[in-house]
Amino acid sequence: MSHEKMHRVIRLKRYEQPPEGYFDDFLRDFHRRQRAELLKPSVRTLLMERLHALLSEFRVPSMAFAGAAALAVIASIAIISHPAQSTAPRAFAASYQQTPVTIPKMQPVSLRVDPQSQRSGSLFPPAYMLNARPANHESPLSF
Amino acid sequence: MGNTIGLRCQVSSFILEPNFSHERNSAKAPLLLCNHLHMSTETEIIPNNDQELVARTQGGDPSAFDELVVRYSPRLYGLIYHMTSNHEDTNDLLQDVFSKAYRSICNFRGKSSFYTWMHSISVNMTINFLKKRNRRQHPSLNDPDSNIENDPDFIAATSNGNGDPTKQVSIHELQKKLNTAMMKLSHDHRIVVTMFDIQGMPHAEIAKILKISEGTVRSRLFYAHRQLQNSLHEFKKN
Repeated sequence: MSHEKMHRVIRLKRYEQPPEGYFDDFLRDFHRRQRAELLKPSVRTLLMERLHALLSEFRVPSMAFAGAAALAVIASIAIISHPAQSTAPRAFAASYQQTPVTIPKMQPVSLRVDPQSQRSGSLFPPAYMLNARPANHESPLSF
Repeated sequence: MGNTIGLRCQVSSFILEPNFSHERNSAKAPLLLCNHLHMSTETEIIPNNDQELVARTQGGDPSAFDELVVRYSPRLYGLIYHMTSNHEDTNDLLQDVFSKAYRSICNFRGKSSFYTWMHSISVNMTINFLKKRNRRQHPSLNDPDSNIENDPDFIAATSNGNGDPTKQVSIHELQKKLNTAMMKLSHDHRIVVTMFDIQGMPHAEIAKILKISEGTVRSRLFYAHRQLQNSLHEFKKN
């Protein structure tokens, strides 16, 4: 089938027409729909109405709104006039403000000379002995 | 004659008020539709009748838009119907198209013809609709006009060439086959076939409406015809 023949066959579809009187009714239907659209409230209107109804239930005096608005303005001015500083130095400083490590008190240790080493002669230096116990009995760390 | 004189629109402000009275030649000053337009006392003759009706609609005369609806509904119906293959869907879409056009008519500046503008709205809305409808399509076809029986192209298409009436296929059989073949096309191809083959629009006009080049229109048509040939070849063999 050539393109020309194809064109002629497809063109036969133009005979498919809507029922008689359809276009007369169409205009009437169009007017009816337009009126219906006008009566149907928009989503925005519905939302505003509901919001208004909700707020009216609170019965807040009108001056309260003015007070809240003024407070909001003052707060925003205060925030603007004190620009926020960078948090990085603060974090750095905070790391130094942590609780310092407690070092246990060290008690002085007294030494005494071993009397036996004194007796054995003067070839060897005298032996010293610890006169006190160590501060704790924890086993030393092994490496 | 008041109806044939186009009215120039000027920038102004006004109160929007719907007016559904469709009396022609009303003595009352028409209510304004667009907030930036108003009817000027200064008049000028506009040769294109569409432009005049558009200007009157923009000026707040709903009866002018009614005339545009009457004028364009058969043509736009055909465009949408051959895309959807469903009468009910076509009716709903056509209503939506005119509603949208009425709401947007203030934005119509006359850069293109009203004809092109209306067709663009119809094509866009129809393609959007078809994308949403996707696969759930139930054809609801209109009966072909009885004049089809006298069309030589119909006689040629339905006879077997030997003049044997017993071999002739019925109108409905042909309609069904044509519809099936059309629905196999993509939306982009179907729209050019509808506009060119069924509605007889020139390539240039189709290109303007679809915002594509004339070359693209021709190539889409060529490809669509080849697909239709394959689909209808089976029909011819059967």
